[in-house]
Amino acid sequence: MILAQTADQPFFRWDWVVDHVDDIWAATAEHLWLTALAVGIGLVISLALSAIVLRWRKAYTPVTWITGILYTIPSLALFAFLVPITGLSTTTALVGLVSYTLLILIRNIVAGIDGVPREILEAARGMGYTKRRQFFDIELPLALPVIIAGIRIAAVTTIGLVTVTALIGKGGLGFFILRGLNLFYSSVGTTQIVVGTVVSVLLAIAVDLALVGAERLATPWARHKATS
Amino acid sequence: MIRLEDLTKQYGATRAVDRLSLEIAEGELLVLLGSSGCGKTTTLKMINRLIEPSSGTISVGGRDVESLPAHEVRRHIGYVIQQIGLFPHKTIGDNIATVPKLLGWDKARIAERVNELVALVDLSPDMVDRYPAALSGGQRQRVGVARALAADPPVLLMDEPFGAVDPIVRTRLQDELISLQARLQKTIVLVTHDIDEAIKLGDRVAILSTGGILQQYATPAEILGEPASDFVADFLGTDRGIKRLSLIPVSAVELEPGPVVAPSATAAEAEQAMREYAVTWIAVGKGEQLDGWLSRGDIDGSIDTSRLRPFQTRLTPTSSLKEALDAVITSQTAVAAVFDGDRFVGMITADQISKEIVQ
Repeated sequence: MILAQTADQPFFRWDWVVDHVDDIWAATAEHLWLTALAVGIGLVISLALSAIVLRWRKAYTPVTWITGILYTIPSLALFAFLVPITGLSTTTALVGLVSYTLLILIRNIVAGIDGVPREILEAARGMGYTKRRQFFDIELPLALPVIIAGIRIAAVTTIGLVTVTALIGKGGLGFFILRGLNLFYSSVGTTQIVVGTVVSVLLAIAVDLALVGAERLATPWARHKATS
Repeated sequence: MIRLEDLTKQYGATRAVDRLSLEIAEGELLVLLGSSGCGKTTTLKMINRLIEPSSGTISVGGRDVESLPAHEVRRHIGYVIQQIGLFPHKTIGDNIATVPKLLGWDKARIAERVNELVALVDLSPDMVDRYPAALSGGQRQRVGVARALAADPPVLLMDEPFGAVDPIVRTRLQDELISLQARLQKTIVLVTHDIDEAIKLGDRVAILSTGGILQQYATPAEILGEPASDFVADFLGTDRGIKRLSLIPVSAVELEPGPVVAPSATAAEAEQAMREYAVTWIAVGKGEQLDGWLSRGDIDGSIDTSRLRPFQTRLTPTSSLKEALDAVITSQTAVAAVFDGDRFVGMITADQISKEIVQ
């Protein structure tokens, strides 16, 4: 790879960044929006599928099988396959992004619920909880740390994948990377690749930290552990 | 209050509980006693329908437990388990409030009840807002009991409630349960494999053998005094005579006055009292007051009250014969003095205790 650098063609140009601050913001917002939408829809589908799995254990193997296959399909191939069906649209981007979140989310939801200690479930039943109320009042809150851990992985993975959707005309920050590749031999090109990559990484870190914060807020009991 | 009739639980080819019939009176504490695999926990869990019987019926308060949805039945039966099972994501107050919330009590009533219970089980009020992780094992067990009592259920089921705490805490929690029960008069079914716990806590004890077969259902004294079968005698162990002593109060024994002389007595009178009882010491006192004792060597012509030695252990009429035996065998005089308040009422010897066991 040749990174041509001369006096008039520097590798990175701050002036380009300054001139395009608005574009960068807009792309970041789109990136975040696509991520949130994908993880949000993924979470809803995963919760529904997990509910089925938790009720009928036999469903677990086929569900992990199918979502596992989806997870292993190369993203580039998946989008190429979807374009003839759903076109160069947000739908295409979302179908792809969502399908990559399912395996991680379902596994963590099921593992989280399964991880609730038996004696707690027995106590809850013995107190007279109905199944439904026990799920929402006891099992779900106690599974929350594991579920949020899954959401964190899904979100960070999705932020990376969103850049790929630039190929189908979406892509948020991926747009800069793609255009940068097309203009590779110019400093405008390399600058855009760097901006797209660095901001995307920063976004992933920020989202991950935000989710850690959300977990701490949602699980106040975990902060009160005794030192003894 | 609770009536089990022909209760059977079958798991495939194994029978866990075999045609068990028991009747538990209101305000009584029944202990289900047996080693593991005897079906005691299965029996307990059938009462609040955590396990459904294969056949037979259970009624609580005259009502068949099958006549209501299981969760309704459970809300009116307190439940305490060995691992306690406090909800780690809820504060102590919210844990205690579990059943009242399920029953839809209003907030003010719940808050008032939580405060009552925290006081009842001797927890400090500032614990209400803490999470279970911040509590010691004994404190958690108290919260577990408070949670079970929250909606004031007439019946309490306890599954090895003190099995997971150390012996010192266990003894204290057992004593607390006894005093709690004296005040609340609940109908309690308690499962344990600990014979001493069964004797200490049970008004009546049901001993089960493997396969859920009832071997004996009687008071602890009857079980220890007259085991119904070789199995029961074996299960209770060879020291059941001594175990039984813990159930008999000192007041059941006719006490002896003992070799007591007045402080003004002469050496000859003291000598005569010692000979009468065939001992080498003499107690000194007058009427209902006992000052202490002297050994024969301490008496030098007359009684010197400045050389009196105190009786180390002072039993009361409500002390158990087990405590009395301990006092007797550890004392230099081989007797223990019994006091009712400050009043000296008599002395107890190993002979009298052994006579009581043989009876």
